[in-house]
Amino acid sequence: MGVTAVTDSAKFSAAALDELIAARQEPEWLVDLRRAAFETFCEKALPSRKEEEWMRTDIRTFHLDNFEPPAELSEIPADLPEGLLTAGVDLGGRVVSYNSRTISSELSDELKQQGVVFGSFAEVLESHGEVIREHLCHAVDPHFDKFSALHAAFFTTGQVLYVPRGVVVKKPLHALSLMGAGGVDLGHTLVILEEGAEATMLNETASVDETSPGMHCGAIELFVHPRARLRYVNLQNWGRGVWHFAHQKGVVDRDAHIQWTIGALGSKLSKVNQHVGLVGEGAECEVNGVMFTEGRQHLSYHTLQHHQAPHCHSNFLYKAALQDRSRTVWRGMIKVDEGAQRTDGYQRNDNLLLTKHCRADSIPGLEIEADDVRCTHGATTGQVDEEQIFYAQCRGFTRNEAIRAIVIGFFQQVFDRIPVESVREALGKSIAVRVREYE
Amino acid sequence: MSEFVRVAAADAIADPGKQVFEVEDQIVVVFHVDGQYSCLDDVCTHDDGPLGDGRLEGCTIACPRHGAKFDIRTGAALSMPATRPTVCHEVKVEDDAVWVRLRS
Ligand code: FES
Repeated sequence: MGVTAVTDSAKFSAAALDELIAARQEPEWLVDLRRAAFETFCEKALPSRKEEEWMRTDIRTFHLDNFEPPAELSEIPADLPEGLLTAGVDLGGRVVSYNSRTISSELSDELKQQGVVFGSFAEVLESHGEVIREHLCHAVDPHFDKFSALHAAFFTTGQVLYVPRGVVVKKPLHALSLMGAGGVDLGHTLVILEEGAEATMLNETASVDETSPGMHCGAIELFVHPRARLRYVNLQNWGRGVWHFAHQKGVVDRDAHIQWTIGALGSKLSKVNQHVGLVGEGAECEVNGVMFTEGRQHLSYHTLQHHQAPHCHSNFLYKAALQDRSRTVWRGMIKVDEGAQRTDGYQRNDNLLLTKHCRADSIPGLEIEADDVRCTHGATTGQVDEEQIFYAQCRGFTRNEAIRAIVIGFFQQVFDRIPVESVREALGKSIAVRVREYE
Repeated sequence: MSEFVRVAAADAIADPGKQVFEVEDQIVVVFHVDGQYSCLDDVCTHDDGPLGDGRLEGCTIACPRHGAKFDIRTGAALSMPATRPTVCHEVKVEDDAVWVRLRS
C-alpha cells in the first residue's frame, strides 16, 4: 500500500454538490456561496506539512474519499447518547443532529414569545433568512483552506441561535451533534446576539461508536453585537476514529463580552482554528480550554485573539494533560492592529505530561502594531511531580488516586473560571475516568 | 500486537534507497542498505520533520528540516537537535516481499 496524495475527490464532486443543492430549497445567495466555496475546494490541495500551520500535524493518512457527503437519514438509531453537559440543567431549548441531519429541535414557548430563535439551520433559514444572510460566513472565511471550502460547499445542518435586541435568555440552550460509524458531520453553528442580548449555549459532540472512523469538518460563528453577553461552551467528545477539522470565530463588538469554554477530549486528530475578533471599543473575551489526550490522539489548536479596536481585553487560558503517545500542539497569537490602543491581552498554555512518550508543543506569539498596549503570554510544560505523589500516598491514596487528584488540581484553575456547574462537573468526571494506572 | 503488513516487493526499493509507506494509519519509511531492510516512523523527534524526505548516507538518515541524524537500524538520535530516538519498527523479508510490523 503506497501513499497516494488526495488530489481531488470522487465523492465530494460537482455532481454530489448539484444533488445536494437540488434537494434543498435554498435562496440563490446561499447556492452562490456553496458554488464559490466548491471552486475553492477544487483549486486547493489538502494542506501539507510544508505549510507552517501544518508542520506538526500530519494528515497523510486522511483520505477524504473514505467518506461521503451527508445523506438523508434512512433511519435513526434507537439509543443515541444523551450528551454530558446537561445533567441537572433546566434547558430553554435543544437541537440534536445525527450525521449532519437535524433529528429534533425544541424551544420553550416562553423564549419563542420573547422572539428568541433556536433551531436547525434549515428551519431558521426559512423563518429568518435575512439574519442568516447577514452573518453566515462573515466571521469564518470559506476560502481559507480546502477544509473550510469543503465545509461551506457541503454543509447540511447545524444550529442557529438568534437572540433579539435586549432579550436576556436565562436558561441554557443545548446543541448536540452525534455521529454514527463511518459518519460525517459538516455542522455549522451560528450564534447571533443582538445589541444588549444575553445567552448561554452548550454545544457538544459525541460518536455513537468509540472507535469507528468518522469525519467532522465544521464551522462555528459567534456574533456578539454591542453590549451583548454570550457564554458559549463547546465540548468536543468525538470517538477515537474521527478526524476533526474546524474553523471557529467569535466576533465581539463594542462593550460586549464573550466567555468561550472549550473541552477537547475526543477525536483521532483535531486541527482547529479558533479566532476571536475584538472589533468594537471595550470588547472583552475570555477563552478557557481544557484538553485531555490519550492513545495516539493528536490535538492541534491554533488560536488568534485579534484586537481590532481600542480598550479591548482578551484572556486565553489553555490547559492540557497528555498520556500514552498522544500529542498536542497549541499555537497562540495575540494580534493588535495599529489603532487598537490600550489593549490588554493575555494568553497562556500549560501542559502536564503523564507519560514518557507524549508530547506537547506550545508556540505563543505576539504581533503588535499599536504602541500603548499590555500583552503577556506564557507557556509551561512539565511532568507529574513524584514528590507530590509520594506525599499523597503517605496519606493513604493509591498511586492512581494521587495522580488523578494531581490532574484535577492542575485543571482547577480553568474549572474555577467556568461558571456553569454542569460543565465543570462533566469535564472533571470525563477527565478523572480517563486517567490510567501508571507504574 | 499488530500483524506484519506487506509493503512492497523486495526489489521495489533500490539498494541503497528508501521509500515511504502507509501502514495501519501510520506513515513509515522503509530503508534498504547493504541488503538489509529497516523501518522507522516518518517522524523526526525534534520537530516532526519528515525523515523520508531526508538524505540517506550509509546507515544514517538526516532530517531535512534542521539536520538531526538518526540511525536507520535502531531509530537512535545521533546528532542534535534531536535528542530522543524515533520509533523503529520490525521488518522481515518473506516471499520476495518486505513486511512491516508496527511497534507502538
Ligand atoms: S525537525 Fe528534524 S531536525 Fe528539526
